[in-house]
Amino acid sequence: MTDTPPLKPASPVRKTAARAAQAGINVIWLVPIVALIVTLGIAWNAYADRGEVIEVEFADATGVTPGETALRFREITVGQVESVSFTSDLSRVVVKIRVDKDVAPYIDAEASFWIVRPQVTAQGVTRLDTVLTGSFIEGYWDANVTAPQDHFVGLDRAPLIRVDTPGTQVTLSMENADGISEGAPVLYRGVQVGRMENLRLADTEDQVIADAFIEAPHDKRLTTSTVFWDTSGFSLSLGASGVSFNVNSLSSVLQGGVAFDTLVSGGRPVEPGHVYVLQPDEETARNDILASESGEPLRIAMLIDDSLQGLAKGADVQFQGLRVGQVTDLAVTLDQPGGDIRQAVTLAISPARLGLGAEATPEDALAFLQQAVADGLRARVASAGFLGTSLKVELVEIPDAEPASIDLDAEPNPIIPSVAGDLDDFSASAQGFMARIGNLPFEEVLRSATDMMNSITAIASSDDTRAIPEALRQTLDQTRGAATDIGTMARDLRDNGTAENIARLVNEAAAAAEAVKLAAADAPAMVEQIDAAAAAVEEFNFSEISAQAEGILADLRAMLGSEDAEQLPRNLSDTLEAASGLLNDLRDGDAAGSLNDALDSASTAADQVAQSVQRLPQLIQRLEATAARADGVLASYGDRSAFNTEAINMLRELRRATAAFGSLARLIERNPRAFILGR
Amino acid sequence: MSEDGHPAPILTAHRAGLLGCRSCGRVWPQDRQTCDRCGADLVPPDRRGLQKVWAWWAAGLIMYVPANLFPMMRTQTFAGLQGSSEATILQGVVELMHYGNYDIAIIVFVASVVVPVAKFLAIAWLAMVAGRPATVEQAHTRLKIYEVVEFIGRWSMIDVFVVAILSALVQLGFVASIHPGPAAVSFALSVAFTMLSAQSFDPRLIWRGLPLRSRTATEGQD
Repeated sequence: MTDTPPLKPASPVRKTAARAAQAGINVIWLVPIVALIVTLGIAWNAYADRGEVIEVEFADATGVTPGETALRFREITVGQVESVSFTSDLSRVVVKIRVDKDVAPYIDAEASFWIVRPQVTAQGVTRLDTVLTGSFIEGYWDANVTAPQDHFVGLDRAPLIRVDTPGTQVTLSMENADGISEGAPVLYRGVQVGRMENLRLADTEDQVIADAFIEAPHDKRLTTSTVFWDTSGFSLSLGASGVSFNVNSLSSVLQGGVAFDTLVSGGRPVEPGHVYVLQPDEETARNDILASESGEPLRIAMLIDDSLQGLAKGADVQFQGLRVGQVTDLAVTLDQPGGDIRQAVTLAISPARLGLGAEATPEDALAFLQQAVADGLRARVASAGFLGTSLKVELVEIPDAEPASIDLDAEPNPIIPSVAGDLDDFSASAQGFMARIGNLPFEEVLRSATDMMNSITAIASSDDTRAIPEALRQTLDQTRGAATDIGTMARDLRDNGTAENIARLVNEAAAAAEAVKLAAADAPAMVEQIDAAAAAVEEFNFSEISAQAEGILADLRAMLGSEDAEQLPRNLSDTLEAASGLLNDLRDGDAAGSLNDALDSASTAADQVAQSVQRLPQLIQRLEATAARADGVLASYGDRSAFNTEAINMLRELRRATAAFGSLARLIERNPRAFILGR
Repeated sequence: MSEDGHPAPILTAHRAGLLGCRSCGRVWPQDRQTCDRCGADLVPPDRRGLQKVWAWWAAGLIMYVPANLFPMMRTQTFAGLQGSSEATILQGVVELMHYGNYDIAIIVFVASVVVPVAKFLAIAWLAMVAGRPATVEQAHTRLKIYEVVEFIGRWSMIDVFVVAILSALVQLGFVASIHPGPAAVSFALSVAFTMLSAQSFDPRLIWRGLPLRSRTATEGQD
């Protein structure tokens, strides 16, 4: 704005421009170059990391959305569904998944894919999260890269056991798969250690086969002597010990389950795929000797013509009375086309049980049996069990057997020669068993027992038994009647008063008195006997056992029933009858002369009677005392015992007898002469 | 700036043999290396300085490509369980229009697409025509465009600001969260580069191409 100098760019300007140009070119262009490199790098990375596309076939693509559904491996997203299409025949869908670069190499032919959806199973509700997130595809593969593959067929459901889970897979064979479902737990002492899977029918045998996967480290509990059994559902058994009701876990009720245990040591470790037979229950499993023995059993067959009704799988094979194996199979076989139909029984024999040692092999057992067969060993079917309703196989030595040998060429198992068993009545034996039970004389036995009881009752309540005291009383009554007769006779005698009658009467009276005296002489002996008995009763230690007291009472009863006791009144009666006859004679004849003598004798006799009778009260007292004491002792035995009742009855009789004696004695005592003379 | 009618030629600092300071505007004799007032280096206007413009412009354009190809914003709902949505700028615009938010769609479209693209075009044009012969009117138009570009440059960051604010605000953990996508960085870089590019443009060059009645036109070319 001042005056204008020559407007010419100065040299410094040029220098500056040149400098700026030189500097600017090199430095500032780095920025876009770096930006380009970075961007291209990012783009290249994005392209390079795009991963590989794999195709997975599924039956349907439920919940699979292109661009959203993820492929997960161990719950980490490693890929994404790019597109969904159909196979050419429209039967399945093909899901194209772009898999991350870093995991793509591991996806080889062994990889498996399945769609994860929420599931409700017996084991619970799983993958509920996929309700919110939507399904995803889960893949599983191991670290070993084998044949690369990019087309897969997806699984219909998640596999229960991942490929590389450590553990051992064994095979279980069973009759049927009742109650066992896929995924059922495998328990070891109640702890779940594995799962069942791949329940399937065997191709050849009539069996169901399942894989059981035992996770490590529990799989080392498996040995060749392990037994497996079914724990499905619940069991109800009625036995001698009552009703037994077994329920396992609810889960095993719903989906079944198996348990295993290694009952004996010495088994070898198992190889994966070892085949076990699943036993129906724990008891069977524990009794299954073949399973519990280590080592392979010897399988051998026998051919039988007889009916095999009653021979079951699992029946014992006995050798020398010991169980050495069991029947594993029953089949019908044909010797040759058109030949006899025979039954082939397959036996599994434990070599160890044959006494060949724990390390014995089936070959050892076969060699042993070959030798034994040469010596006459034969197989035969025999009845077993307490009632003979089941069959077993016996290996017995038949001394006079025809020479035979084991047919080693037979297929599938060698055939051991057999003889016919004594089983003719077997098929009927079940019926026979029932018939035998039916034939048992239950009714007769009952009838006899009833009769016996009736007899006892009748004896106890019979009139005869009851009439014993009555008879005594009657006897005394008769005696009294006789005495009255004597009185009447004496009155008649007095009224008539004829001398010869009197003389005769006196003679006869003397004889009668003599007889009375004799009879009266017996009375003291009897009284002494009673006395002695009473003393014995008195001396008897009542605190001792009841049997003695019972014996005493029996003695008393015997004494009362003895002839002496009975004869006392009868003698009296006889005597009085005789006296009565005598007096009748006296009435007719002239016996006045001998009357006095007779009366004297009679008086003497009467005195003796009186004398003897005087001892009666003592006897009676002692009897009464005895009875009272016995009563007291017996009261201590209690009211109810049979002995007590009997004793009380006895005492009652005794007392009654005593009373009768008492009245007799009193009568005689009151008027001994009237006994003779009727006054 | 110039006050007169057409016959009088506009006297520029260059023609006056002076050199203007870019920082404070003071003019110095051309042989001065630094501005005594503000201490800045004195750089004479030179078309070679346009290399800087072009370099930043190229960097900005390069970054603009991924900014449009990569997702701007990643929205996760229920921790990604219900899916996460990723959208590039254009996808976002289309989505907004799909939901009927035309006004917002227009704002986003203008801020994120129209303005940057227009900026690229404007800077490129300015850089191309800078120093070329031009009439005074043309020079005025170029200056206005330059000013608009300078002014609008900072507003181009609106998309980045939206993403940054949303990312900070919408962090509801499990329920929803928004994360900036790779495009946000690219876009921010692109905007920054274009701003640097616009800044690198020396507006003095606009005046270098003015017609000189009296002097030779060859003076404009260096």
